[in-house]
Amino acid sequence: MGLPNVSEDLSSEVEVDAFKRIFPLRYFERHLAESIRADGRPLGKARETSIFLGAVAFANGSALVKIGSTTMLTAIKMEIMTPSLESPDEGCLDWLLLVGPLMSIDFHMPPICSPIVRPGRPAEASPMVSKQLSNTISSSRMIDLKELSLVSGKAAWMAYLDIYCLDADGALFDAALLSAIAALSHLQIPSIAMNDDGKIVLVSDEDGQKRAQEPVNKEKRKLTLRSIPFSLTCILHKNYILADPTAEEESIMETHVTVVLDTSGQLISLYKPGGPVLAYTSAIQDCAALTRQRVKELNNFLDKANSAMEV
Amino acid sequence: MPKLYKFLSVFRTGAVNAASGSAYAEFGNTKVIVSVFGPRESKKAMMYSDIGRLNCNVSFTTFATPIRGQGSDHKEYCAMLHKALEGAIILETFPKTTVDVFALVLESSGSNSISECVAGDLPVVISCASLALADAGIMMYDIVASVSVSCFNKNLVIDPILEEEIGQDGSLMITCMPSRYEITQLTVTGEWSTTKINEGMQLCLDACAKLAKIMRSCLKEVASDSQE
Repeated sequence: MGLPNVSEDLSSEVEVDAFKRIFPLRYFERHLAESIRADGRPLGKARETSIFLGAVAFANGSALVKIGSTTMLTAIKMEIMTPSLESPDEGCLDWLLLVGPLMSIDFHMPPICSPIVRPGRPAEASPMVSKQLSNTISSSRMIDLKELSLVSGKAAWMAYLDIYCLDADGALFDAALLSAIAALSHLQIPSIAMNDDGKIVLVSDEDGQKRAQEPVNKEKRKLTLRSIPFSLTCILHKNYILADPTAEEESIMETHVTVVLDTSGQLISLYKPGGPVLAYTSAIQDCAALTRQRVKELNNFLDKANSAMEV
Repeated sequence: MPKLYKFLSVFRTGAVNAASGSAYAEFGNTKVIVSVFGPRESKKAMMYSDIGRLNCNVSFTTFATPIRGQGSDHKEYCAMLHKALEGAIILETFPKTTVDVFALVLESSGSNSISECVAGDLPVVISCASLALADAGIMMYDIVASVSVSCFNKNLVIDPILEEEIGQDGSLMITCMPSRYEITQLTVTGEWSTTKINEGMQLCLDACAKLAKIMRSCLKEVASDSQE
């Protein structure tokens, strides 16, 4: 038990920064004992959150989300999948058309976002967050994929969701999910038409007047979003539950629980990827309770961002 | 003679908290974020070096261009950015270590795909990178500003947009340290007459000086804010 005593003795002598560097865990535990976080937040409080819609010019829907310093930029591009005239029923495209409209969700961590990401070497976290996002969005049944279908067997929409982490400071999944659903709420499906050859083409705004082509859907439209999923990541450490951790907290205390609930409070998914602390049922319930509060808050933010766009 | 100054620029430092220094630049349609990390330990495989190393990377988002791309690295830009900055940084101040300069082009000035990306983005990346280096406190001889000029129909157009670049006869890009009146990088392509090229270079140098003034005031603003 030499080490803790050393830190006790030193704490009165060395400066705060030095103490934090030498005994990071002690430093955080001292804060926790006073029911406060190192950045001045109460334990259960998430950081300041902002949503900005329509940030990307070359996208059908986009959103920039900040939770504390963690910044995510999502852009959605819609592409029409049509079989080529020579071989209408061949290969993966045919399969695509059979399955119907699809969505591809990619989470990127470019080297600008964090000192641990280097060019050419993808970050460890990114494929995991990618997978988690696809699972959450598809299992939440938030989007009726039928809304994305065009002409059955002839053409379908492919939605590409690209989520870029611009600044990584913890709770990456929460921010990524929020920016993805914000971009989906901003998404406008372009209007399309069938030309004389029976091919489906995009109607650009300029030739909207000359409607020689037969329109398939006349106007740009938005998706109907049912039961939107929101998430909150918490850190479990001893008996403490810390909501919305920063990168620093995540690196020191390694047990995370992510709860995803929809707007009606139903559980969509729960992740507890290992970690040294085993979670009791009561801790999980506490996390869910914190998430329930957070869902209300986030839903409000999203509504506000959307109504600001309409004005 | 019509000279188009499109100085509708936005410069902001401290865009990425996780980095030692960073900057965001918006210039015309181009939007760029640059993060600087280090000086930090060089890769193990690196030979011992008395002076510091500079490592540059430029990548594009998949939505940077109207047609969805792959979001890959741009090798040519990486090399160009490295060469443009190398001469301005006092590498002796961080021996044995590496400074990483990573750029992400959020939106490109608008050609259809990255492979045909034109000179429009590179000057913005370079200027933004030098601002990020200053924000990270890396010692430089001077701020580096970069501007490109297109020559078409005997007219010189500064900071050309895509339509102008397609019809251009030649293009010229200068990266310089305005207070020292030194050029770190100069690229000339296409057809130029001697008088035109002189004129073009003067135009670029003047524009660089103006750009550097804007960048410097951005840094000063941040410094005075943090003092308060």
